[in-house]
Amino acid sequence: MAVTRVTQRMMFEGSMHNLQQQLARLAKTQESLSSGRTMNRPSDDPTGVSSSLRIRSALSDQQQYARNADDGVGWMATIDTSLQSVLDQVRTARDRTLQGLNTGSVSQAGRDALAAEVEQIRTGLISMANAKYLERPVFGGLTGGGQAFDDNGVYVGVTGEVNRVVADGVTIAVNADGEAVFGGPAGSGQAQLFQDLEDLAIAIRANDETAMAAGMTALNARLDAITTVLSDVGTRYNRLNVATEMAKDSELSLSEGLANLENTDLARATVDLQMHEVAYQAALAATARVTQPSLMDFLR
Amino acid sequence: MASGSFGSLNTALTALQYQRVQMDVASSNIANASTEGYARRKVDGLTLGAPAVPAMWSRYVGTGEGVLASDSQRMVDELLNGRSRLENSNLSYLDTRQAALERIEAGIAEPTDKGVAQALQDFRTAWQDLANNPAGDAQRSQVRARGENLAQAFATQARNLDVEASDNRYRVVVDVANINQLASDLAATNKAITAAAAVGTDHNVLLDQRDVLAQKLATLTGGVASVQSDGTFNFSVSGVALVSGGVAGQVQIAGGIDPVTGAGVVVPGDPLAVPPTYDADQAVTFQIDLGGSVTAIPTAPDGAGMPGGELGGLTELLNTTIPSYKADLNAIVAGIAADVNALHTSGFDADGNPGGAFFGFADPNNPASTLLVAVATNAGVAASQVAGALGNDIAVAIGSRLAAEDSYQRYVNTMGTDVASVKRLAYNQYALTTQVDNTREQLSGVNLDEEMNNLVVAQRSYEAAARVLSAVDEMLDTLINRTGLVGR
Repeated sequence: MAVTRVTQRMMFEGSMHNLQQQLARLAKTQESLSSGRTMNRPSDDPTGVSSSLRIRSALSDQQQYARNADDGVGWMATIDTSLQSVLDQVRTARDRTLQGLNTGSVSQAGRDALAAEVEQIRTGLISMANAKYLERPVFGGLTGGGQAFDDNGVYVGVTGEVNRVVADGVTIAVNADGEAVFGGPAGSGQAQLFQDLEDLAIAIRANDETAMAAGMTALNARLDAITTVLSDVGTRYNRLNVATEMAKDSELSLSEGLANLENTDLARATVDLQMHEVAYQAALAATARVTQPSLMDFLR
Repeated sequence: MASGSFGSLNTALTALQYQRVQMDVASSNIANASTEGYARRKVDGLTLGAPAVPAMWSRYVGTGEGVLASDSQRMVDELLNGRSRLENSNLSYLDTRQAALERIEAGIAEPTDKGVAQALQDFRTAWQDLANNPAGDAQRSQVRARGENLAQAFATQARNLDVEASDNRYRVVVDVANINQLASDLAATNKAITAAAAVGTDHNVLLDQRDVLAQKLATLTGGVASVQSDGTFNFSVSGVALVSGGVAGQVQIAGGIDPVTGAGVVVPGDPLAVPPTYDADQAVTFQIDLGGSVTAIPTAPDGAGMPGGELGGLTELLNTTIPSYKADLNAIVAGIAADVNALHTSGFDADGNPGGAFFGFADPNNPASTLLVAVATNAGVAASQVAGALGNDIAVAIGSRLAAEDSYQRYVNTMGTDVASVKRLAYNQYALTTQVDNTREQLSGVNLDEEMNNLVVAQRSYEAAARVLSAVDEMLDTLINRTGLVGR
């Protein structure tokens, strides 16, 4: 057997190296404990860092989706309220027309009053048709002009969908088409509903039963159309709410995933620290013992 | 058998001399126990006695003439030393790479909320916010500000790479000066060794020095030392001779760094006083001028044949590693700019005009460092797909996941893997180098216990030889002073 020669220098250098390594391990655990993170640079865990970057990006997306959906909910709420009022007003106009049709019991003065009320309803509806959310007319499509209908009830919006992205690849339109609600341009250029109401006022004033009956039919048809839009709005409103919930849920689970991936398991790190500390102390003690004695101690 | 009267006296004298030499060597070994490059010495005793070849007409009748100290031997194994030089140069190469890569890695600041990844997300978020409110001036200004942030984040990374490259160029210049100094020292040592060998003096100290110089040179250049029959070292880098006997060559920088300014750089105490000028696109190459004949160090396009050691590590960083990171970063930035601009120019700004390019470059050849937001006004940000209206399709599209995000993640992942791998390699190389150095230390290192032992043995033997002297003296005293006194 070859006798291994061991020299003092070898032992010193070996001990130094081992001590350094123990200390490095201690420092690493210390770093992860004090920073609270297991990954402090890409090389700590290249795959983990890559997932971490992806999760961070997804997390920011989900937060944005929740914000987008919240914004959409605002639009939908405004549209919902406006449409309910529009329905009320149109119903009132229909009631007034019914009253006007009771030709026997209403005087000319009464009919004038009814006609005036219908005209007022029309004006009110035009202002409702310009209902705004955050300075944008909700029935005006993509318009930047601030108005969906002008004072004469002519549609001045830009038809198009105002979209909100609420999940990966899921887009929901958060506006309602003004022409679907109030009807397309009639003969004079204004929306059908406003034209109908204008015609009705004239018919009531003139006690023109045929025209009033035609107006009634038109209003009923409009009511149906508005109800259809309203139910569509309700569906989208629900979808937006669900999307908000989902985005918030994924945000939570993604945050949890990120924490699991990046954050230090305190209990484990503390135990590790303890372990490395003990090992380091043992190494120190061993080094002190091993490097001290030499033959000199035993020679007179 | 026959014996002269004074033969034992002479034998005892040789013993005294020999033990003195033994004690000298032991004390010299102890004194140099921690001297760098010192190989322990050993003296063997040669018994003086009958000639090894018997003479034909005479015969030896003595019983031995004592002992003679042989030349002191250096306990070294040239093969082990060569191996140690090789492994140390590999270690130095990997250490150089590791240190530089770790600096680059720390500079990219991932995964934190301060790096490029975060800037990219912020940029997208700003566009999404603009999508929710295409008319908002605040949102438009936010989009431009976040675009600037993104450009800055990329510029910071690009600058880190540039700074690392320029630091490494400085180090190449300093290293080359060091190498040339060491080479001329080695040549001078070679000359001294030849002279000492010719007159037959002990030149072990010179050999120690030779080994230390060769080790340093190998660590710096990864070159190879070959022992000549007269004990001198010839040293070559990548197969090109740098030191040949007593003649030292000069390593010169042939390309990549201006050698004229570079040579003037090394001011003692402040090596970086005058920064060397360089062309960042040019590969760093070397040549060796040995006695007026200049030979280029051969370099294959893939970097094969380059020096090893620290110089090789620096050269590879400069010629391959850093440029490849820079190219990746440039491709990512160019990709982002192209994607965003393609969408942006297909849209319309607040005034209904077709959108211009959102991102531009101050220097199209250097996208990462010079990315800038080209849209000068808030109104110039194009969010709408319809002219003169508040569409948000363009903002939504830019705010959605950009392809560049994936390439950036790949970039970070590649760098992390590179650094982790070089750390592992360096660690393993360290273990191997330590093993080889330990083996060498086993042979050449000084063990204090052993030296003490030798010292005690020599001391006791010296005492015994002295006793022999006095015994012979007493014997002669008896013969001279006490005999022949009969009848006096």
